[in-house]
Amino acid sequence: MKGDDDMLDHSGNHAPASGCQVSRIARLGTENLCCWTSVPGPHNPERPPLVAIHGLHRGAKQQASLLAPQVAASGQTVIAPLFDRDNWPDYQQVVRKRRADLALLSALDDLAMAGVSRTDRVELCGYSGGAQFAHRFAMLYPHRVARLSLIAAGWYTFLDSKPFPYGLRAPKSRHTSWQPRSLGDLATFLSLPIRVLIGTEDDVVDENTRSGPEIDAQQGRTRRERAARWVSAIEDAARLSGIRPNIKLIELDGCGHDFRACLAHPEARRHLFLNPQIPLTR
Amino acid sequence: MNAFVPLTASHETALNPTTLTCAKWAFTTRRVARDAAIGLCCDLKAARAGDLVLGRVERIGSHKRLQLASGRPSQLYSGELVIVVCGARYAPDQFEGLAELTVSGSDLLAGGGVLGRMRNRNGKMAAPTRIRPIGLLTGADGTPLNLAQYAIPARPRPAIPVIGAVGASMNSGKTTAVASLVHGLVRAGHRVAAIKATGTGAFGDYNAYLDAGAHHVADFVDAGMVSTYLEPIPRISKATDALLAGAAADGCDIAVVELADGLLQKETAALIADPAYRAQFAGFLLAVPDALAATGGVATLAKIGIRPLALTGLITQSPMATTEAEAVTGYDIASREKLRDPAFATVLFSRARVIANSANARVM
Repeated sequence: MKGDDDMLDHSGNHAPASGCQVSRIARLGTENLCCWTSVPGPHNPERPPLVAIHGLHRGAKQQASLLAPQVAASGQTVIAPLFDRDNWPDYQQVVRKRRADLALLSALDDLAMAGVSRTDRVELCGYSGGAQFAHRFAMLYPHRVARLSLIAAGWYTFLDSKPFPYGLRAPKSRHTSWQPRSLGDLATFLSLPIRVLIGTEDDVVDENTRSGPEIDAQQGRTRRERAARWVSAIEDAARLSGIRPNIKLIELDGCGHDFRACLAHPEARRHLFLNPQIPLTR
Repeated sequence: MNAFVPLTASHETALNPTTLTCAKWAFTTRRVARDAAIGLCCDLKAARAGDLVLGRVERIGSHKRLQLASGRPSQLYSGELVIVVCGARYAPDQFEGLAELTVSGSDLLAGGGVLGRMRNRNGKMAAPTRIRPIGLLTGADGTPLNLAQYAIPARPRPAIPVIGAVGASMNSGKTTAVASLVHGLVRAGHRVAAIKATGTGAFGDYNAYLDAGAHHVADFVDAGMVSTYLEPIPRISKATDALLAGAAADGCDIAVVELADGLLQKETAALIADPAYRAQFAGFLLAVPDALAATGGVATLAKIGIRPLALTGLITQSPMATTEAEAVTGYDIASREKLRDPAFATVLFSRARVIANSANARVM
């Protein structure tokens, strides 16, 4: 568990300054996934929970703690699963090794049984590596996603014929369970409300940025370029399928690759934390 | 114990309620209101498929247990009373039989409680269990009670995605494929119906679907038929519509429908050759036991314009046969594990929905 800061708090509970109680629930589902959760006082189980996926540095507890106060007023539950390094080293690719997708599905079933939510769908939000996971999970299970928010993904799966995880084609290796998909059966995904958030300063290629001639040619060099290209590609794919795209790129002025800074940005708050009574703007 | 006084063939008489309480009611009678049975008709020549039969076990043969309406198997004993259903059966690995009863004794054609006259028997099967029919259960109007009276109401076909499962033969792996796909879809969060549209009444497949987690399970017995063998194709077709309508009314967002036996079986062949019938299916899984059957199955379906969504079945137990079949047919072969994978199941669901939506658009 080296580096999984979430695991260092053995108290089981954590109350941030906002007063929103954040609790750790261990061993959820068939894969024993740990989740940090916040269930607000006036809890609305009909509202899809906000499922927040951490980045490669983990920090599920931090995400739950920062997000909980933002959504508590609307009665929304926050669920922040922890894909620890030992068990899910490549969780962001969703179907590799221990199948992070199956772990999350099963954990959500357990939480539903516990009464945390009564909806089959979730509002899925991911940061950095978590945004990679989030959009790939949504491609596999679009019927389980009510809204998709991607913050500062390093790179994306495009809807082209490149092998997964770059594109939709199944890779030659049989070690992954990604299934060949066509544009046609992605209609539900292409109809989702998707918000892609990226800091204007998040244009530094660092040691965590997957780089190389092929991926740079397909997606661009920086996270900012890649976000813009992916949004454009999804818009094109939606139109090609006769679907009105509901995807929007939101550039966060002055933000770098920093979850807390992104979250504090007024534009991010405006797009991430919707009053459920207000429909998404197109 | 079973104090029943046998009647002559000329008698029609009231039925002692104790007799019904003592008798074992077979799985195929599960929809019948037991208190509706108040008399017996001993004119066995008049028996039709679906009529309820009171009988006494004479000799235990191939089927040593009777599947009860409660869903459990029950050991059969010579001399005990059973309530079964007059019906036909087509099962190349077991028996073929007709919906005919004989006073001297009839054949238990299926463990779900199907009584008739055996016509053909697979060489590996022992002789069928013999049951002497005592009479047909009758209702207040004196006519025999028939499963058709207890069928779910006929309703038009709903617009939900439907994936079919057909096979090269009996025991080619269809039910395992259906159960596996149902399980994968359930894991992915779908509300799934599992339906057996053709075959002979028994609880094996029905229970397999329930075990897989299906939200809604039904078969042709729910539509009033103890077996679909020798039934008119329009009746089976309407029954499938009604079963699917029941699934849609129960809130299911997809149905997986199994068609019994092989592609060459008379009713199965007629149904999938009928454009109106197969139009309800967004696609088919084809279950095959070996590579040659895969080749033949794909070719047979191609003749009527069907490209299966995936090949599956017993063949997946053999890596070498799987490789052969993949090379010849060009299809990936989906193992039960793959079908149980929610990601793969969702891909099949999505493809089925795309096809279903485009078909509905053409109709509109």
